[in-house]
Amino acid sequence: MVEVLSEPAGRGSYSGALLEVEDLHVEFHTRQGVAKAVNGVTYSVNPGETLAVLGESGSGKSVTAQTIMGILDMPPGRIAGGQIRFRGVDILKLPEDQRRRIRGEGIAMVFQDALSALNPVFPVGWQIAEMFRIHRGSSRSDAKKKAVELMDRVRIPGARDRVNDFPHQFSGGMRQRIMIAMAIALDPEILIADEPTTALDVTVQAQIMGLLAELQRDSNMGLILITHDLGVVADVADKIAVMYGGRIVETAPVHDLYANPAHPYSKGLLESIPRVDLKGQELYAIKGMPPNLLDMPSGCAFHPRCPYRREDCATAVPPLYPISGSRGSACHYWREVVDGSR
Amino acid sequence: MGRYTIRRLLQLIPVLLGTTFLINYMVWQLPGDPFAGRCGQRPCPDSYVSAMRSQFGLDQPILVQYWQFLKNMLTGNLGVDFNQVPVATQLGDAWPITIRLALLAVAIEAVIGISAGVLSGLKRGGFIDNVVTISTLFLLSLPVFVTGFLLQWLLGVQFQVITPTVSDEAPIMELIVPAFVLASLNMAFTARLTRTSIVENRRSDYVRTAIAKGLTNRRVVGVHLLRNSLIPVLTFLGTEVGSLMSGAIITEGIFNIHGIGGLLYRAITGQDYTIVVPIASLLVLVYLVSNLLVDLLYGVLDPRIRYE
Ligand SMILES: Nc1ncnc2c1ncn2[C@@H]1O[C@H](COP(=O)(O)OP(=O)(O)OP(=O)(O)O)[C@@H](O)[C@H]1O
Ligand code: SF4
Ligand SMILES: [Mg+2]
Repeated sequence: MVEVLSEPAGRGSYSGALLEVEDLHVEFHTRQGVAKAVNGVTYSVNPGETLAVLGESGSGKSVTAQTIMGILDMPPGRIAGGQIRFRGVDILKLPEDQRRRIRGEGIAMVFQDALSALNPVFPVGWQIAEMFRIHRGSSRSDAKKKAVELMDRVRIPGARDRVNDFPHQFSGGMRQRIMIAMAIALDPEILIADEPTTALDVTVQAQIMGLLAELQRDSNMGLILITHDLGVVADVADKIAVMYGGRIVETAPVHDLYANPAHPYSKGLLESIPRVDLKGQELYAIKGMPPNLLDMPSGCAFHPRCPYRREDCATAVPPLYPISGSRGSACHYWREVVDGSR
Repeated sequence: MGRYTIRRLLQLIPVLLGTTFLINYMVWQLPGDPFAGRCGQRPCPDSYVSAMRSQFGLDQPILVQYWQFLKNMLTGNLGVDFNQVPVATQLGDAWPITIRLALLAVAIEAVIGISAGVLSGLKRGGFIDNVVTISTLFLLSLPVFVTGFLLQWLLGVQFQVITPTVSDEAPIMELIVPAFVLASLNMAFTARLTRTSIVENRRSDYVRTAIAKGLTNRRVVGVHLLRNSLIPVLTFLGTEVGSLMSGAIITEGIFNIHGIGGLLYRAITGQDYTIVVPIASLLVLVYLVSNLLVDLLYGVLDPRIRYE
């Protein structure tokens, strides 16, 4: 740790999980109709814990994260129900001013494409320093000094000479480091990283993941890691939430899920083992198309693609059946899946 | 950027030479003898015409005339017009007025156009957005002289809140309405450009990042969004300064302002090219320099632009 920051009021005074998303529903009102992007997502993260959120494109991973962050496009987006509790307080009910203070201070986010996520017309140091100037009222020079420290901390070579450079003057990996520096500037308790390495080379990906893991160890923050990359998940995550059609279909400690998936969709993901040469493709190896959010399949949303499907799958929506401890599977026939029949 | 500036300045030279030559050549080619109609009802005596022709060098070949013009411009010696009144004094009286009018117009364009564009872009489809869309369409579809005469009649004659014509010294207060008329088209266009730019940038990733940083809405909009959205708007405003000056001719005519517009108008009808040529050349220069400044400004506003 570089420094010990004063604890904001309320930090650590709540005994439940640090961040709890409960039965969250988000929909988009579009010309074509109402797209139900998130349909009852529930997950939680504790200090020092890494939750990996997995699922194919369009499954609602980013929308859930944006809702937590409070950066959902509204309209067309609408939060149709549920709670997001941060230290026990439902932040969806907070007035905008209090909500704003949580952003950056309590919960911060790293985006996929740092080039477009950083403001092109301001120097990177200025953009990092802005966190201290706005949230902490630091002077320009103090804030800039802290920005340099942070750039050092995320290991940008020659940080002092590069604070005044603009985002386009950095490589993709360095830009993502700057994004991370900005996100951890105020020592947030939760960091959401939405596919932080997808836009990067394989070698750089590993470096960025290593950096995130190291920062998390140092500061004991909770990390929500949204990713397509099953290989990364095994190394860094504590637990996994697999999303399908805006729902969590399986949650499990990472090793349990790898050893023995309890949902046909998770199983399909694991069987289509990620291959470096097919990056980004691995999740599509499951037969069939992702569900149409405007017209979700009845019953279990996965049933049109499910090899375990029985008749009632098309009518009865499976709840998240508890399996053991924190494990759960939204499949009527999870026992069969675990047993490995078929 | 220094090298770039120097190269751009050097590029100005051939352009200036070419355009000013064309201006001189055009004047020479205009039909009708500029001196024939200067003696009341009767045609001027041949002796007068030939004396004038040789005083102003019209008996020389065009290239010699052009050389003379260049020498005069570079030494600042503008000579006298066909009525033997010094050209420099007339230009000296007229330029400040037109510059004042043009600057005022640019200020109106910027302040009203940008504010209207930002407000309507932030609340797309809202009340203000509709008002702005309708009124800009209104301004864009009206020819400038209609807007001019309309406002002159409405404010100057009907309600008498302004004097219909501007007095000789053209004080700022009297120039406000004419400047508004001069600005009207560009102002409407600025509002639309700003609106489009705001709408486009509003959903951009970096704005989302700014919100995620926990900045106040004011700062997200006023610093992050605005700074990016204004890049095309400011370059548009700059590029238009030159044509704004030329546009001043109509406005100055309507409100009887004694700027270069009026001077040029009278000189063209009187075929007095001693006035037309330097004014046209100066307009070219203003246009070229303002364009150069805009290109340089663009690089300052958008660090991604590289000059080579
Ligand atoms: N602003 C929006 N307007 C309309 N629909 C949206 C909007 N944002 C997201 N959606 C819809 O919500 C659904 C879920 O999108 P989301 O971005 O959460 O997917 P994801 O799981 O993050 O996918 P990916 O892996 O591609 O990032 C998508 O079908 C998308 O079309
Ligand atoms: S509930 Fe039925 S359709 Fe859905 S995953 Fe389980 S077996 Fe497959
Ligand atoms: Mg996403």
